[in-house]
Amino acid sequence: MNIRELYERRLDIVKEQKAKDNCPVIGTLCSYAPVEILNSFDIIPLRIWGESENLHKADALLQTFICPPVRHLMALGLEGHYNFLDGIVHCYTCDATCGLFNIWVRNLKPGFSHLISLPYMDINEALSYTIAEFGILIGKLESFTRKKFSPESLKRSITLYNEVRSLMREVYYLRKGGFRISYSDICAMNICCETLPAENFLAELRKYVKTIKEEKRGSRGKLKILISGSIISDTSLMDFIEEVGGNIVADDACIGLRTLRNVIPEGDPLESLAGYYLARPQCASRADFPSRKTHLLETLTDFNIDAVVFIHQKFCDPHLSDHPFLKKIFDEAKIPHMQLELEGDGFTGSVRTRIESFFEMLERR
Amino acid sequence: MTEEKKTTKRLHANKALRQIITDFYADAHRAKAEGRPVGWIPPMNGLIELFYAMDIHPIFPENWAPICAAIGTNTNNFAYAEKKGYSGDLCGYFRNNVGYALDGIREANQPLDGLPKPDFLISFGAGCVPTMKTFQVLCDHFRVPVFRADLPQIAMEDIREHHIQYGVIQIKRLIKFLEDLTGKRFDIDRLRQAVAYTDAACRVWDEIMDARRTIPSPFSAAEIGIMFVMVTRHGTKIAVDFLQDVLKEVRGKVERGEGVIPNERIRLFWDNIPLWYNMKLFNYFEKWNAVVVAETYTSAWTLRMDPDKPLESIAYKSLVSYPLVSCVSLEKRIELIRKAVVDYKIDGAIFHSNRSCKPISMGQMDIMKVLSEELSVPGVMFDGDHMDGGKFSMAQFQTRIDAFMEILTERKRV
Ligand code: SF4
Ligand code: SF4
Repeated sequence: MNIRELYERRLDIVKEQKAKDNCPVIGTLCSYAPVEILNSFDIIPLRIWGESENLHKADALLQTFICPPVRHLMALGLEGHYNFLDGIVHCYTCDATCGLFNIWVRNLKPGFSHLISLPYMDINEALSYTIAEFGILIGKLESFTRKKFSPESLKRSITLYNEVRSLMREVYYLRKGGFRISYSDICAMNICCETLPAENFLAELRKYVKTIKEEKRGSRGKLKILISGSIISDTSLMDFIEEVGGNIVADDACIGLRTLRNVIPEGDPLESLAGYYLARPQCASRADFPSRKTHLLETLTDFNIDAVVFIHQKFCDPHLSDHPFLKKIFDEAKIPHMQLELEGDGFTGSVRTRIESFFEMLERR
Repeated sequence: MTEEKKTTKRLHANKALRQIITDFYADAHRAKAEGRPVGWIPPMNGLIELFYAMDIHPIFPENWAPICAAIGTNTNNFAYAEKKGYSGDLCGYFRNNVGYALDGIREANQPLDGLPKPDFLISFGAGCVPTMKTFQVLCDHFRVPVFRADLPQIAMEDIREHHIQYGVIQIKRLIKFLEDLTGKRFDIDRLRQAVAYTDAACRVWDEIMDARRTIPSPFSAAEIGIMFVMVTRHGTKIAVDFLQDVLKEVRGKVERGEGVIPNERIRLFWDNIPLWYNMKLFNYFEKWNAVVVAETYTSAWTLRMDPDKPLESIAYKSLVSYPLVSCVSLEKRIELIRKAVVDYKIDGAIFHSNRSCKPISMGQMDIMKVLSEELSVPGVMFDGDHMDGGKFSMAQFQTRIDAFMEILTERKRV
C-alpha cells in the first residue's frame, strides 16, 4: 500500500484493528495530546480530522464565526463519522478546540473524556506540573481500561514514537535532498501517524522510506517554500502551490515538522515525555513567542527557504494574531511571504489567482 | 404592550463610581510621575492583591477597552491595529488594546489622560488566546522588564493541589522579581490584608447580587459598571466601602419595594459581555416591563479568599476567574446559569452571540437548549460584538427581541 492508499484507508484500518483486538480508540483534537501514554495502555489514539460535506450541520451547535476546521469536525461528529471512538482526550491549546471538546462531549457523550491543562511555556516549574497533569490522565485511564499503568510499557511506546518521528523527519530531509516526494504525500504521512496504530504505521513507514530512496531524485519546483499556519485538511491547495513552481520543503503547522524536531530522551519515562511536550517547538496557541521565533529562523536556514506562504483559516485567533509578528521576522530576513485566508469553502478561484501572481512575482525576482 | 417611556432610575452610587474610575486612572498617572512602578497585567487574576500590597499600580488593558468603547476612541484604535496587520476578526479587546498601545497612546486628549506606560509587564500564558496574545504584543513593543508567568486553563471543578502549587511557586518568583524592581521588601501581612479586602468585597458583591432576586428587582444590568471595582480595586478598602454603599442603597430600594421600573413583569437573564458602546440597550426591554436581573459575566468576580493562606488564595483566584465564564468547562457554566435562572426567577434569556469572544460564545446553543428543555425558560440569540459597533445591527436586534418579548408577554398573560 502506498502512503496515499494508507491515508485513504486509515479509518477502516483502525476499525478493523479495533474489531480484531478489542482495543479502545480515543480521539484527539490536538497534537499536544500525549499519544505515547494512550499507546502504553494499548489504546489507539486517533486524530479527529477532515472536512464534512455538510458543514451546515454544525450550525446547530456552533456559531459561523468559529473557525471552519472546528465546524467541520463538529459536523463530522454529528454525522456519525466518529461513532466508533470510545473517548476523547484534548489538551487546551486554542479556545476554539477547547469549546469543541466541551460541546463534543456534551452532545456526542463519549464513554471517556479528559482535558489536559498543559503549561503555555517551558518555565522552570512547568516540568513537575506537567508530570502531575499526565498523572491525572493516567489515573483516569487506569479506571477506564482496568489496567495498571506500566512505566515499562510507556518506555516501549516512547521508543516506538521516537522511531516513527525520526523516520518521518528523515522523509522531510530526503525531500530537501531532492528525492521526489510531493507535499501531499507528506501530509498523508503526517495524518497516518496521527491516526493509525503506531506499530502498524511504523512498519508501513519503513517501507515508504525504502521506496523513496529507491527512486531517482528528480527535479521539482525550484522555489523552496515554507508553509505556516492553521490546520488544513484539503491538500489540493498544496498540490497547486507545487504546480506553479513551489517546492514545499518545510511546514509550521499543527502536524508536521514541529512535532518531529525533538526526540524524547531516555530516563524516567513520564519525566522525559513531559519534557518533550514542553520543549517542542511551540505552536501559535502557546505563549513563548521568542522560542517560536528562534525555531522559525532556524527552519529558514535549515531548509534554505525562498518564500513563505501563510495559510490561515478565517477566525483562527492564534495564527491571525501571530501573523504580523511573523511577517516582521520574515521581512527582516528578506524572505517574501503571502497570506491566504480560507473560509471553509475550500480552495477557491481567487485563492488560485493570488497564488499564481505570487509565484510569478517570485520567478521575476 | 405600551410604548410609553419609563424613567429608569439609576443607582445614586453611580456618582461615586465615576469618581472611583477617575481616581483609579489619576492614581496611576500620579504613581508614574512619582517614580512608583506601574505594571500592566491581564484581568481576573490574583496579582492585583499582590500589586496593591507592594504599592505597585496595576493597569488592566482589558478594563481600558470598555472605556474606549464607551467614549468612542475604540474605532481609532481598531484602525491602528488594522494598519499593523491585525485581522478585523480578532477580539475587539485585542484590537483596541493593541491599536492603543502601539499607536493610540500617542494621541492627545485621551479619555482619563490615557494610560501611563508600563514600567514592567507580565507575559502571560493564561486566559483566552486574544488576552495572551495582547501581552505578547505589549512585551515586544514596550522595552521594559518582563516577568514570564504561566497559568494553564483548568475547569474549576478539576482544580487540584498541584494546580494551586504551580500558581504559588510562580507567585513566589514574582515577589522576588518585584522586590528587585522596587527595591522594597515584600510584607506578607499587607498581602493578607489585601486578600481580606477582596474576600470582603466578594461577600458584599454576592449580597448585592442576591438583592436582585427580589421582585421587583432594585437594579438592572445597566448598572453593571459597578463591576469596575471588582476588576480594578480588589485588594483595597475602596472596593469594600463602595460596595457597602451600593448594598445599602439597594437594600433600601428592596425595603421600599422600589423596582428599577415601576411595573416589573418579566425578568430576563443576559449571557455574554454587554455591548460596551451601547449600554442603553439594557433599557430597551423596559417597554415590555422587563428587566435584566442576572448575567453570566457578573458571576466571574465572586469567590472566597482566605487571608490565612494569602498565596494559595491569590493562586486560586487566578485559576478560577476566567474559566468560570469561558468554555473551559461548559458543564460548570451550565450549572451556574441553571442555578441563576431558578434563583432569580427568570422568564427568558437573552444570548448575545459575541463575534469578538469565541470562548464565551461557544456553547451558547447548548445552554439555550438546557434552559428551554429542562427549565421551560425560552431564549433568544442575537449577533453582536462587545467592542465593535460595526458588527451589531440594531435592526436585527429589534426584530429578534421584539418577537421574543411578545412571546414572553403572552406567556405571562396566560
Ligand atoms: S488553531 Fe486556529 S484553525 Fe486551528 S482549531 Fe484553533 S482556531 Fe481553529
Ligand atoms: S472578550 Fe473573550 S476573546 Fe476577548 S479577551 Fe475576553 S475572553 Fe478573550
